[in-house]
Amino acid sequence: MEPMKIMLVDDEERFLSTTKKLLLKKGLEVLTAASGPEALELLRTHNIHVVILDVKMPGMDGMETLKAIKHTYPLVEVIMLTGHATVESAIDGLKSGAMDYLMKPADMEDLIGKAEEAFEKRQRIEERIRMAQMRKTMKSPREILKEEV
Amino acid sequence: MEFLSWHKHCVTLLGDDIRQERFFVDKPKYQNLRRSILTSMILIPLVTLILILGFGYYFFISSLQSSTIATVKRIVSDHRHMIDAFLMNRKANLDFVLNSYRYDDLTDPEILAGILSRLQKESSAFVDLGVFDSQGIHVNYQGPYKLAGKDYGGSPWFKEVMQKGTYISDVFLGFRRIPHFVIALKREKDGKAWVIRSTIDTHIFNDLVEKVRIGKTGEAYLLNADGIFQTERRSGGNLLERDPESISKPALHSGIKTSIQENAKGESYLYAATWLREKNWLLVVRQAKEDAFKALYTASYVLALITLLGGAAIIGLALVLTNRIIRRMEWMDAEKEELGGQLIRASRLAELGEMSTGFAHEINNPLQIMKSEETMMNVLLEELKEKGELKSSPTLTELEDSMSQIDLQINRCAQITQAILKFGRQGDPVFQKVNLQEFIPEVTAMVKKKADVHGILLSQEIDGNTPAIEGDPGQLQQVLLNLYNNAMDAILSRHGVEGGKLVVGAGLRGDGKVAIFVRDNGSGINPENQKKIFSPFFTTKPVGKGTGLGLSVCYGIIGKMGGFIEVKSETDTGTTFTIVLPSFEGDGSDD
Repeated sequence: MEPMKIMLVDDEERFLSTTKKLLLKKGLEVLTAASGPEALELLRTHNIHVVILDVKMPGMDGMETLKAIKHTYPLVEVIMLTGHATVESAIDGLKSGAMDYLMKPADMEDLIGKAEEAFEKRQRIEERIRMAQMRKTMKSPREILKEEV
Repeated sequence: MEFLSWHKHCVTLLGDDIRQERFFVDKPKYQNLRRSILTSMILIPLVTLILILGFGYYFFISSLQSSTIATVKRIVSDHRHMIDAFLMNRKANLDFVLNSYRYDDLTDPEILAGILSRLQKESSAFVDLGVFDSQGIHVNYQGPYKLAGKDYGGSPWFKEVMQKGTYISDVFLGFRRIPHFVIALKREKDGKAWVIRSTIDTHIFNDLVEKVRIGKTGEAYLLNADGIFQTERRSGGNLLERDPESISKPALHSGIKTSIQENAKGESYLYAATWLREKNWLLVVRQAKEDAFKALYTASYVLALITLLGGAAIIGLALVLTNRIIRRMEWMDAEKEELGGQLIRASRLAELGEMSTGFAHEINNPLQIMKSEETMMNVLLEELKEKGELKSSPTLTELEDSMSQIDLQINRCAQITQAILKFGRQGDPVFQKVNLQEFIPEVTAMVKKKADVHGILLSQEIDGNTPAIEGDPGQLQQVLLNLYNNAMDAILSRHGVEGGKLVVGAGLRGDGKVAIFVRDNGSGINPENQKKIFSPFFTTKPVGKGTGLGLSVCYGIIGKMGGFIEVKSETDTGTTFTIVLPSFEGDGSDD
């Protein structure tokens, strides 16, 4: 099984670099992006499984980025990282397709734990897609969409 | 920070005290107002009342006086006419006799007797009839006395009649002690003069005069020129005695004079007096002033009573109304001030919320980095230890201790920022119907275990008629849990793990609102702190144990649901928090 490929999106450079090092030490593949557009660019060129996305960023903010990601790459699981501990912003994120949310300051173990959950989910979905494709019984618009990915 | 809230809570929780205090401050202002309202409320009606009564009294008295005086005057005038007419008629009778008979006829006793009897038919007042020659010799007499032959030449009356031609005497008592007076007339013919004289019984005009009655004390009497009674006076004053009161007499032939005079006994009388035409007698009608003006005195008493009662009523009413007005104004002023204060505090609180959420949010980012770095350091330490580059030593233990302390403090910061963010959250709660009879036990169940562990007896007193409310269940749960936790902390600090009691209850209030209370028998809150407990960052807990935001968050949440929280507490007795919320008003079938 291929290792989890994770992307961190945050405007805090030092957070990106330190967390990347930590995740690398855990044996994950890590990419970092300092902004929404940069993240979308990386998604275009890499097969990323899980995105950890800061809600509050200058320019394109987390919610916009989330919507763009889910629109173009529906299979990518996104975990929102929010500095704002309101249920509302989390709910908004979940409604827009985020899988879960983390409140800043988040423990690294939590972060990795949630990322792994997300990765497992992603893998289950991919597994089902593969099974479906193998059976070729029926083609749903969703599967067609996924083939194009 | 405290100034934001303590005032608000003073007003909501200890509102009455604050109002009283404010009254005290504004007292001079209200006193002046009170004085001016009271003055105008008393003066205007009182002056009106007094003016009306005064004018009424004045005109009443004037008309009463003039009518009383007019009555007396009329009586005097009528009676004078009657007495004058009587005297004139008697004089005319005698004049007729004098002119109808010659002197020789008059000296004939038989003829004279005939004349007398005819005169007596004319008027029973004629007692006798006598004839005198020019020397005053009583030449002929008819009557009850033996007077014939007597010489009256030197008598004053004879001199007067000879001089003036007519004479009317004052009243005197005759031999039979009957009051009489005499009328004498003179005739001259052919150088010869003679006189006829008749004694007149006064009973006729006595009747006329003495029968006058006005009111209780009104009476009439005759006085001669020297002030001697010519008739009896009913109230005392015998015939021919001198009138003890010297009254002011009108000038002769000048009509009627009225006056009010006091006698020696201090009794005032209203007098009306006039001289007769035919004789210098004074006809007096008098009535005790008290009697004459009785209606006037009655009116005065009634008026005085009305003035007193009316005045008292006006003053009393003015006092009551003024007090009511002032109290109302004070209340309204206080209300206004309170409202203004609440608006200011609300906007300040909103600003504060916005600001602090901004801060908290910004602090969370560096905290996140610190956390990552700290995790990184731990990982690196582990690696070094694994590689054997770091040997376990006291220094290493201390280093690890410091690292864990950093972790602890970062978490503490995180707690604070999260509490601030909750406090300042901008989103509106999601309202839905909450059935308190199910909801409260659910929330209470969450703390059951904690209560058991600390030996706290947890009981519920939820009325069966407790209506549902409309609110955000999540937030309401947060509020209740916060109150439970505070209560349990207070219980623990007073009782330890034995004897604690925590009661949660709900019920319908008289005004249709729902009250939820959380009552403990814990250490209580002193009055000073009661004013501050809803203020953000106010806490009595040790450093690091509380953020001081719990109750202010609760306050905000309940406020957004349209309710309020109150606290009642007594040190070392316990505390009761009461949440008051409007009851659910949607239709009953909707669940």
